[in-house]
Amino acid sequence: MALEPPLSRVQRWMQEVVVHPGSIDEALASKAARAEVPPERLGDVVLPSRTLAPAQRVEIYQRMYLLRMEEALGIDYPALARFLGPRGFRDLVRDYVASFPSRSYTLNRLGDHLPAFVLTAGGLRHRGFCHDLARLELAMTEVFDETETPSLSAEAVAAVPAEAWAAARLRPIAAFRLLALRYPANAYVQSIRGRGHRHPRPRRKDGWLAVYRRNYSVRRLELSLPAYRLLSELVAGAPLGPAVAAAARRRPGSGAGPTQLYRWFRGWMAKGLFMGLEGLEPSTNRL
Amino acid sequence: MNRWNLPDLGIGVGLRTVHFGHILSRRPAVDWFEVLSENFMDTGGHPLWVLDQVTERYPIALHGVSMSIGGTDPLDREYLRKLKALAARTRAHWVSDHLCWTGVAGRNVHDLLPMPYNEEALRHTAARVRQVSEILERPLVLENPSSYVEFASSTLTEWEFLSRLGQEADCGLLLDVNNVYVSSFNHGFDPRVYIDSVPADRVVQYHVAGHTNKGTHILDSHSDHAVAEVWELFRRSCRRTGNVSTLYEWDEDIPDFDVLHAEALKARAYREEPARPPARVARGA
Repeated sequence: MALEPPLSRVQRWMQEVVVHPGSIDEALASKAARAEVPPERLGDVVLPSRTLAPAQRVEIYQRMYLLRMEEALGIDYPALARFLGPRGFRDLVRDYVASFPSRSYTLNRLGDHLPAFVLTAGGLRHRGFCHDLARLELAMTEVFDETETPSLSAEAVAAVPAEAWAAARLRPIAAFRLLALRYPANAYVQSIRGRGHRHPRPRRKDGWLAVYRRNYSVRRLELSLPAYRLLSELVAGAPLGPAVAAAARRRPGSGAGPTQLYRWFRGWMAKGLFMGLEGLEPSTNRL
Repeated sequence: MNRWNLPDLGIGVGLRTVHFGHILSRRPAVDWFEVLSENFMDTGGHPLWVLDQVTERYPIALHGVSMSIGGTDPLDREYLRKLKALAARTRAHWVSDHLCWTGVAGRNVHDLLPMPYNEEALRHTAARVRQVSEILERPLVLENPSSYVEFASSTLTEWEFLSRLGQEADCGLLLDVNNVYVSSFNHGFDPRVYIDSVPADRVVQYHVAGHTNKGTHILDSHSDHAVAEVWELFRRSCRRTGNVSTLYEWDEDIPDFDVLHAEALKARAYREEPARPPARVARGA
């Protein structure tokens, strides 16, 4: 008797087969696929062609699935892919999409869980380095896609009375991320972007980084630890006065003196890291 | 002319990232651009900025890959809301997607998966097309897919399914002549019968593309020049529909813009023949 499953069942079956990471025979015989269409009834669901058996025809879709996932994640994680090599990255992608399949109409967010997944993925060498690479590359894609927000202008900054700065809170642009790294992930990303650059070894080396977008271009700014801490507090909404005072107190002699603080602050403003000032007196709050 | 009087925009190409710089700096004399909807729905960065520049200078049509019009999950209302907003932002002449499904149970496999062509699938898809057209406040345009699988439960040919779908849901057709060729090879039908059978007055756009012949089957790879047989199918169809907006697709191993544009302009030789009135086609035939 012919098997005529309803549309919903056909689709559930075909999806289970297409996303299965094993061979086509394993996919057809998997528990999930078998629950919809027994493998021995395949010929009742899919017709053969002149040249291909039903299983071979379905296999075309199955083979393309992982290739497409690998291509999409390779675009977002080129440094991680380079570090792991083709086979290592393919294995990671296969395991990742089995745990975190796309549930969105866009592939842009497919890799959102990859940094966390790297922490538990099986068979991964240099896990900490891979984690930092993934975190950095995710931050870069997020910054790339963030909403464009205008930066605070020099005129707006100049218009703030000196006495108002202590209470001011700086609001960062949307396309901004701060990262504390334990491995030289930024140097690795840089090394794959230029020819002839030597890749740094995946050894422990603390680093701090701001990832931001300027003129629609994603940029990375290496920070010292005191600068990272100050920027973190400002981004978290701390008023400028107490944050600066805390930075100066934190490590006397560390270089976070008034002159250095002023240089950092001026540099961050020039790079357009902030979009607004809050907490000013009403007369100065219309910037 | 199609039944909605949607214009013949001429010969266009797809807007692709690798060509952004060329398009903005050289302003090539392209008639129009087709924009992949999903690439611009969730970005506020450089791609959207480029799209805004392109929209100022060129006519746009939106083309999507994730509507899953044949899927059995509920329609994604958030997706449709964003699609409608993007259509308004780009002043898109029409919005198209594919006759396919892309996933169920909340998943998206990001492929254009094939439908069985039978009464159940027709009723299901027609109802969804009507919903989408109502939400978008414009007729949905659907592209015939290329496919590698035929279902035993199909009782209609693909061209019969498309004709019936047009009648029942009043949707437009983006006729991909390469997909017709690919599927005809894979399934063993005569592509000329397909071309001669689709409702000519519903064709609002053509796709022409290259493919990869694997011997046992053809992959719709969009990776090469179109073969002569595909161009001939295009010529044959243009005789029925009159000149209709035409787009050349090239998505793998994308060449320099000028090479792509030159390939697209080959369409002139096939569509600018002595003008003939479109064949009289009964409404919905």
